[in-house]
Formats: sequence, C-alpha cells, structure tokens
Amino acid sequence: ACKMNKDAQMRATINQKLIETGERERLKELLRAKLIECGWKDQLKAHCKDVIKEKGLEHVTVDDLVAEITPKGRALVPDSVKKELLQRIRTFLAQHASL
Amino acid sequence: LSVSLFQAKSCICHMCGAHLNRLHSCLYCVFFGCFTKKHIHEHAKTKRHNLAIDLLYGGIYCFMCQDYIYDKDMEQIAKEEQRKAWKLQAFTPTVVSHYQCTMTGIGEKYSTWEPTKRELELLRHNPKRRKITTNCTIGLRGLINLGNTCFMNCIVQALTHTPLLRDFFLSDRHKCEMQSPSSCLVCEMSTLFQEFYSGHRSPHIPYRLLHLVWTHARHLAGYEQQDAHEFLIAALDVLHRHCKGDDNGKKANNPNHCNCIIDQIFTGGLQSDVTCQVCHGVSTTIDPFWDISLDLPGSSTPFWPLSPGSDGNVVNGESHVSGTTTLTDCLRRFTRPEHLGSSAKIKCSGCHSYQESTKQLTMKKLPIVACFHLKRFEHSAKLRRKITTYVSFPLELDMTPFMASSKESRMNGQYQQPTDSLNNDNKYSLFAVVNHQGTLESGHYTSFIRQHKDQWFKCDDAIITKASIKDVLDSEGYLLFYHKQFLEYE
Repeated sequence: ACKMNKDAQMRATINQKLIETGERERLKELLRAKLIECGWKDQLKAHCKDVIKEKGLEHVTVDDLVAEITPKGRALVPDSVKKELLQRIRTFLAQHASL
Repeated sequence: LSVSLFQAKSCICHMCGAHLNRLHSCLYCVFFGCFTKKHIHEHAKTKRHNLAIDLLYGGIYCFMCQDYIYDKDMEQIAKEEQRKAWKLQAFTPTVVSHYQCTMTGIGEKYSTWEPTKRELELLRHNPKRRKITTNCTIGLRGLINLGNTCFMNCIVQALTHTPLLRDFFLSDRHKCEMQSPSSCLVCEMSTLFQEFYSGHRSPHIPYRLLHLVWTHARHLAGYEQQDAHEFLIAALDVLHRHCKGDDNGKKANNPNHCNCIIDQIFTGGLQSDVTCQVCHGVSTTIDPFWDISLDLPGSSTPFWPLSPGSDGNVVNGESHVSGTTTLTDCLRRFTRPEHLGSSAKIKCSGCHSYQESTKQLTMKKLPIVACFHLKRFEHSAKLRRKITTYVSFPLELDMTPFMASSKESRMNGQYQQPTDSLNNDNKYSLFAVVNHQGTLESGHYTSFIRQHKDQWFKCDDAIITKASIKDVLDSEGYLLFYHKQFLEYE
C-alpha cells in the first residue's frame, strides 16, 4: 500500500509539472494530430455510428457511447504513436530532473 | 504560462483532487467534480443542482435527463467563447501535419463545416449523391480542339486540376459583379469546372471560353498557333481582373493589394537585390510574379557556371547523371548573383554616382502554386528556334535554397541544413506538366495532370489516357506546375 501511494504521488507531481510548463497541452495536440493522421479518429467515428444505429438514436446516451468505445479506442491506438508520446515524456522528464 | 499554472492548481475535483476523470463544473455553484468517479453526480443529488458543464468539451449535462443536452443558445455562446479564447492564445507551438492548421492564434479557429438551413433544404431537394472512390475518373474530361486550340486546352486541364482553384469554384465562391455576366471569364471558368466534374465522359467543347479569351486578350485571337505560356498569363490576368466581386473591392487595379483567388493562389514575390561593388550597399525591390521563366542550356545566353554551393541539388535529391540538366540547376542559375558589367552601371544611392554592381534574384514569398516556364522558344535577333534540351524535374521540390531568407542566412554564415524537415513551408508537389511536340512554327501541346492521389493522366485534346509517373518525368517539360504541400489555414 505504501508503494502505491508513492507512485500515485509521483504521477500527480509529474502531471502538475506537465501542466505548469504547458507541455501537457503540447502533448495533447501532438497526440490529437497523430490520431487523426493514422485514421484512428475516423475508425472510432464509424464505430460510434454503428453503436447509434444498433441502439437507436433516441435511446442512446453519451455514457452508452463512452462505455462502448473506450475499450476499442484504447486498443486501436497504434504502437508507433504510443512510442512517440512516451519518448516525448521521457525527454521532458530528463529535462526537469529536479523532480 | 500563468493560465497553465492556474489550471494546474484549481482545475481539480473538489472531492478527490483528481483532474483527469472528465471534470465537470456545477452550473449552480462553485464545484468541480469527476464524472467518471460520479463525484459530480453526488453533488447534483445532494444539492439538487441538476446542470453541469464538461470542462473539456463544454457539453452541458442534465442529471434529470441523464444525458448531455443540446441547447441552441448555449451552443452559440460556446462558439463565441471558443473564438475569443482562440484569439487570446499568444503562441501555440505548431504540430505540422497534413490536416492540421498551423496554430498561431491568428485568424479564425478551424471549425468543422455545419450546413445552414438553406443548405439543408438544397441537400434534401437534390438527393443525388456522388461517391468518390479511389479509381473513379471524376474531374477528367477531354477538350475538343477547335482549330489549333491545344495551347488553350492544355492550360485548361492544368487549371481544372489545381486543387485550390477547384475547391473555390465547386463551392460557388465567385460572386459576379460584371456588367454582363456573359462576358465574365470567371463565370465561364465556374461553368467549366461544373462541366469537368459533372461526370460526363464525352469531350467538352470550349467554344464559349475560346470566344471570351479572344474578346479579352486580342493578341491571342485567331486560329494560328499560340504559345501556351502566353495563354496562361493572359488567362490569369483576365481572371484576376474579372474577380472584382470576390472581396477585393476597389483595390483590383493594384496587384499588391488584391485578394482575389488568382492572387491568393498564383502570386509570389520576387526579390531583386542590386549590390554596389564599391560601397556594397544593397538596393532591394520586390515584384509580384505568377510564373518563373527559366533559361535553358543551349540558348544563346550562357547557362553555366551556376552559383556556388550545391544546396539545391542535395535538397532535391538529384544527382548529376552524365550532365543532365535539372530543374534545380535552372533555379540556381536564375538565383545566381549576376555581374552587370561596366556598360550597365547603376546609380548607387550610397556612392551618389554610377557604379558597377551585381544583381541577384531570390524568392521573397512563394505562391501556393508555382509555375515554372522552361524557355524553349528562342526569339533572339539571330535565330528563332526551339530548344529541346532535356531538363529533369522532380515530383517533390524544396524551394528553400532559393529563398531570400536562405540567402541571408548563407551570408551571415549560418549553416544551412540540407534536410530541414521542420521547414515544410517550402515543399512542393508536381501536379501538372504541359509539353510541346514539334517545331517553333508547327507543333502540338499535350499535358499530364495528377487527378487523384498518385494517378496521372495524359490529356491530348479530346483523348485522356492513363499515364505512369515515369511517362511524366521522362517528358520534355515546358510548363511545370507545383503545388505547396502544406497549407496554412486562413
């Protein structure tokens, strides 16, 4: 339990730093661009349409959609994109070694 | 940066301190809560505050309906606030990709198209939809030769396959303000685009276009053979003049202030620097251009030697295969410092006398569509002939070495990286080639155009045939049309 807390605390600190320096926004934009480029956004959009067709437009809620597409969305992110983002974060951490 | 700090410190859930779980803000009081962990739901229940807003996307959630709701007035407000927030961004680092606009906080934020009421009406009344597949032939159409009019046909093919021009006309952006619309060349172009993208496969007969060209460019009238390059310039000129209605008002006569679609797409800025050899003072002028005319080896004016440095060839991946002249060779020659000679002294404002000087041309501003004219027709006092020297040209062209800014950094001793991948602004893709077969007096024009992704077609008046990239690159080349690869959204 003690180790878990430390990890959570570390994550929070890193996150804080990411937001403060504006790096989080930059990473988000990078990710957004990459996911559009590789067609991920289009794939999920198509999946959403399928879910809506299945459940019927009048009966589906945003929560339904979120529940349906979150696992698929997570799985569909290409490894190359994950690698690139990780690399960026690593570089960032190296630069802010005081953490 | 202060905004980021503020965000870091205050945009957290009031119950658990997290900020990543779809944070929502109560619309009745100051409370932030996680959506995923249901903290905002608890707050809504206990306080009976039934409306909350998603802090990331601005969606409004109603706890009674248990779903996001869409209110027209709220959406209007959201749009306005987003626009304001966009303008406040001083500088956002750019992530350059094919689809994203370069975000600098200027101009309008990109928002996806939403149909207006009128457009929805039109869509409902016209239910026919055309699907564009990868191998469809939309946009391809032959042109009947009306008597040596191949010089016009090849240019029409190039223009109808200029992506930005196509988008402009197919989205009906021309508002005609001519006295008689039947004499407006822009309206005729619009009709031409409709014809080309109609899906009709029979060749089009451009008699109205020909008549309008004769009317507005008298020097091209008649059935003799004409120069395609001359036609291009004349056509752009008339189109530019007739674009009066399209948001450039009374400034149509000043080429430097016009904002018509022709200028937006084709106009670049050519910088001319005249350096006094005595005091080294530089006099600079910038002139607008629609095309770049390049001298070729074999003409009466000497071609070699070129300017020092092989940046051009390295950047564009060309190698000198047994002395083949390349397009970048021609561009290097075009941008070389030229000694003007003792018979052409220029009055220097620094020395207050006539001095020998050197002149150099560089690109100040690149147009979205760059047209290169290889000067194959020699009309000197001594001879009139066609220069058939083969000039190899690339599919992708980087204009960085020929920019005025590159010249400045070279002069300041800054090292020029040959593969500056961040400088995407100067990268171009070939999309049309006009070729001439025959002699100066008697010949025939054809064109290659890029229709869809990497599909190339040869247009020989009424006959359109599939072509390979090799066919295109092996051709002689007279007019080369390049399109910028990355566009800034305005």
